[in-house]
Amino acid sequence: MRRLLARADALMNRLYGWRYNPLYHSGAIVVALLIVLLITGIYLLFFYRLGAPYASVAALTGQPWSGRWVRGLHRYASDAAVIAALVHALRVYAHGRSWGPRTLAWVTGLILLFVVFVSGWTGYVMVWDVQAQVLATEGARLFDVLPIFSEPISRAFVGERPIPSAFFFLNLFAHIAFPIGLGLLVWLHVSRVARPGLLPPRPLMWGMIGLLCALAVLWPVTMGPAADLFRLPGRAPYDVFYSFWLPLARALPAGAMWGLFAVVTVVLVLVPRWAAPPRERRPAPSVVDENLCSGCEQCYLDCPYEAIAMIARPGETAGRSALVAHVNPEACVSCGICAGSCAPMGVGPPGRTGRDQLTAVRSFVAQWRLRPGEGGGVPDAVIIACDRGGGGIARDGEFAGAPVWPITCAGNLHTSVIELMIRAGVGGVLVVSCPPRDCWNREGPKWLEQRIYHDREAELHQRVDHRRVRLAHAAAAERAVVADALQGLREEIARLGAADREADADLQRECDTEEAVR
Amino acid sequence: MTGGRVIRFALAAAVVVGTGAALAALSSAPYTAEPTDRAIVRLAWRARGERVRECHRRSAEELARLPQHMRQEEVCERRILPYRLQVDLDGARVVDELVRAGGAREDRPLFVFHDLSVMPGTHHLQITFAREGTAEEEQEEEGEVDATEAGRRARETPERLGLDTPVVFVPRQIVLVTYDDEGRRLLLASSGGAP
Repeated sequence: MRRLLARADALMNRLYGWRYNPLYHSGAIVVALLIVLLITGIYLLFFYRLGAPYASVAALTGQPWSGRWVRGLHRYASDAAVIAALVHALRVYAHGRSWGPRTLAWVTGLILLFVVFVSGWTGYVMVWDVQAQVLATEGARLFDVLPIFSEPISRAFVGERPIPSAFFFLNLFAHIAFPIGLGLLVWLHVSRVARPGLLPPRPLMWGMIGLLCALAVLWPVTMGPAADLFRLPGRAPYDVFYSFWLPLARALPAGAMWGLFAVVTVVLVLVPRWAAPPRERRPAPSVVDENLCSGCEQCYLDCPYEAIAMIARPGETAGRSALVAHVNPEACVSCGICAGSCAPMGVGPPGRTGRDQLTAVRSFVAQWRLRPGEGGGVPDAVIIACDRGGGGIARDGEFAGAPVWPITCAGNLHTSVIELMIRAGVGGVLVVSCPPRDCWNREGPKWLEQRIYHDREAELHQRVDHRRVRLAHAAAAERAVVADALQGLREEIARLGAADREADADLQRECDTEEAVR
Repeated sequence: MTGGRVIRFALAAAVVVGTGAALAALSSAPYTAEPTDRAIVRLAWRARGERVRECHRRSAEELARLPQHMRQEEVCERRILPYRLQVDLDGARVVDELVRAGGAREDRPLFVFHDLSVMPGTHHLQITFAREGTAEEEQEEEGEVDATEAGRRARETPERLGLDTPVVFVPRQIVLVTYDDEGRRLLLASSGGAP
């Protein structure tokens, strides 16, 4: 599934660019569509009559300029919201981002989807055409097997007497009340992330709304015949996104449908449990070395999951900052972005802190130095690639003659690693991250770019020739993007000539010395 | 614009149009919930059955086991007597079941809900809905009946209801058999009145 998604991402990136790839913005698209639904829903409410539901909707549908297209937009937005929500859930599941500290987001996301379905169901019942009749009677049949109503609600739909207005009032109330709860659920859904991106980029958002408006005009929504409780429901248009369960419900007893619903619900709710890797393979949360922490708050600012807080430094604070970073292991997803944000390299997941990276990169560079050849075996270019996306080359060892150094997330990369490579004589360094909106850890590429080019704390030092450093964004299936970026870097290196090589570039020792001086 | 860009633009537009068309098509997909041309006899009514009271006296041992404040010597439970529903279609028995009152204590009204599929045309329909069991304990209290109880008993469904009539069914028609509370009888209903 992950491979399939990677190919779809690559195709969409090629067609729309990674900034406007709708697959990357599926969650934000749902929010934008919910806002469209809210606005169009309020408008449509003015025309709906509880005493004559079908007639009022039919009258509205008959008005091409003031009614039909708004109803079409309302309907198509609700359908698109289901698609976007499913894509979002599928991506989160396939990328293994549904467990651990992300469990709350997964579970609230499922509830959100359920509420969207229930709202859609009640919305279609409001129309009171044939589809509404089938949805209402099947729903009543399902609820009648539950021991919660004193009288079977199916009796309301046998035709013994006209459907009471109270039914349409309750249905309308549910159609409005459920979406009100959506706001609270969205807040809960994103409550564990910092700086949630709730809306897609404007060109994408307005393009999508424009498409739905065009669709509503060019392909107007229709209504089935009016509900008739004395006739078997014949052929009529149904909305697959909200009525998909009807063929199954009509074929199975109500008890079996509830059983199926319970099984599906349990399986989905338990995804965080069974999708999680075994405990011994789970990446450990970040830890803080309080001796190195300078209390600068950068890790606290950069953490995309609000897992870091600044607390009063315990014990003696003489000559040190009053505050020290503290990681909440329950909220930490082990993205390692804090390691990239910490200039003194005092925080990060065990084995992936800035110091650990420097130790690893020294051996990496040394092994290339040992190779015979021009430049003492030092490669002309090195690629640092994100393990998740990064063109899918992180595990290749080498790409187009350039050695590849894998990193779990671009945001985890400490800029000192780049510096060490350049000072060791590497002609240039290409860092390949995932496209920013597709970062598995949300903000890795964004912070890395600012550290390299915009002097964000833990910045790439000015003494490094920035022309020898390139940052490229590539999804897992975009090897061609990496190849193009590498080609561009090599051309630049050719213009600049060989890098000055320091015989003994040892940043860790320099850092230790600086720390000792401080 | 280079050839590659034109192709890419065309593809991007095609994906947008295709997605929109798929969305619209799936939003109004034709479906026939009931594909046959048969008709339906729908039996649906609510009946207030006869309420009976069943009492028993607790033994001294039973009373001793209970807390002080719960030592009531006589315990009575009320329930509604069940009815037997029998339906014959063209002389063949198609339904024969005991309809119990609703609620865990069987003290709620009885509800009947049945859909019987029939071929279009004329059919002979015979329905009987008859009370089962007796109400001996309740009868013992006949002398103490107050006005409220008398009103309730007046609203009770008769001990036996019946319907014996030919019915003409047209394709896809639903003919409803229901209980008329005012007339205290079963009657037929369909769109536009009785079929």
